[in-house]
Amino acid sequence: MSADEEPGLYVESTIIMTTVRVVAPFVLTFALFIMFHGADTPGGGFQGGVIAGSVVMMLAFAYGIDSTRQWLDVRVVAALASGGVLVFAGIGLGAIALGGNFLQYNEYLPYYAKASKYGIELVELGIGGIVAAVAIGLFFLLAAGFGHVVGEGER
Amino acid sequence: MSLTLLQGALLVFVLCCAVGAALLKDTLAAVIAFAAYSLGISIIWLVLQAPDVGLTEAAVGAGIMTILFILALANTVTPETDRLFEPIRWRTVLFVGAFVVALGATVPSLPAIGDPTAPVAGGEITQYYLEHAYKETQVKNAVTAVLAAYRGFDTLGEAVVVFSAGVVALSVLRREVFA
Repeated sequence: MSADEEPGLYVESTIIMTTVRVVAPFVLTFALFIMFHGADTPGGGFQGGVIAGSVVMMLAFAYGIDSTRQWLDVRVVAALASGGVLVFAGIGLGAIALGGNFLQYNEYLPYYAKASKYGIELVELGIGGIVAAVAIGLFFLLAAGFGHVVGEGER
Repeated sequence: MSLTLLQGALLVFVLCCAVGAALLKDTLAAVIAFAAYSLGISIIWLVLQAPDVGLTEAAVGAGIMTILFILALANTVTPETDRLFEPIRWRTVLFVGAFVVALGATVPSLPAIGDPTAPVAGGEITQYYLEHAYKETQVKNAVTAVLAAYRGFDTLGEAVVVFSAGVVALSVLRREVFA
C-alpha cells in the first residue's frame, strides 16, 4: 500500500545511507543550535523546527519511507506537536497565574534569574517541536499518497 | 539607487528562475526552478541584512517545500510531452505585466536601502525596540525579542495555526499514515 513498495521510488544505496548516517547528527545539532541560539543570533523555532524535521526526511530518503515511518513512533511526533503548544501556552498562562500579563516573562524572575531569556528559549523550543512534527507528518502524509479509494485494486 | 554586481546578478538569477518555474512544461523542472528561485531570494534577504527571513526562506521555501512538491509529483502521473515550455497565453502575460508595472511604479518612492532617515528605521517603535529589547527581554536578537516577547501572543497564534493545520491535514486526508 505504501509508496516505496512501488518499483523505482526507493533504491537502496550504500553511499546515501553512509552519508546520511554521518551527516544526520550534525544537521540535528544545527537545528537545535538554530532553535536555542535564535535568541542571540538569527534563527528561532520556526527555522530550527523545519531543519529538525528535515533530518527525518533525510533518513527516509536513505532507508526508505516505509521503514522510517515504522521506526518513528507516532506518539513521539504527536507529543512533539502538542507538547510544543502546551509549553508555549503554559509559559504564557503561567505568567498570568503569577499575577502578570500573558507571556510577561519577568513574572518568573523570583524563581529564576534569567527568566526572560530562558523563557523565550523555551518558547522557541516549543515552536520548533510543533513545526518539526507538522513537517514530518505532512511528509509521511504526502509520501503515503491520499488518493486511495476503499477497495481500489493495484496502483 | 545603484546595485552592486552581486545584487544585480542575484536579481537576474531570481528573475530567470521565476520565469522558468512559471513557463517550464515539465513539472519536475518547474519545481527545481522554484527551489532555485527560493534559494536566490534567501541569499538576497541575506544581502539585504535580513538573515532571519533568509533562513526561513532557505529552510521552508527551498528545503521542505521542494521535498513536499517532489513527493506529490512521485504520487502523480505526468503526461509525456516533448515541449520544453508551456504555451504562452498572452492575455495572462498582459495581466501579469500590468501588475508588475503597477508594483514597479511604487519602487521609486521607497527609501534607499539602509537610509537612516527612512520612516521604518527612524520611527518611534523601531527605536523603542532597539533601545529596550535587550534590557527588557535579555535576548540580543531584536527580531526574536519582538517575536517571542513583545508580540508573543501573535506568535502563539501562528504556532497554533501550524499545529491545527497539521492536525487537520493528517486527520482529513489520511488517518492511518502512522499505522
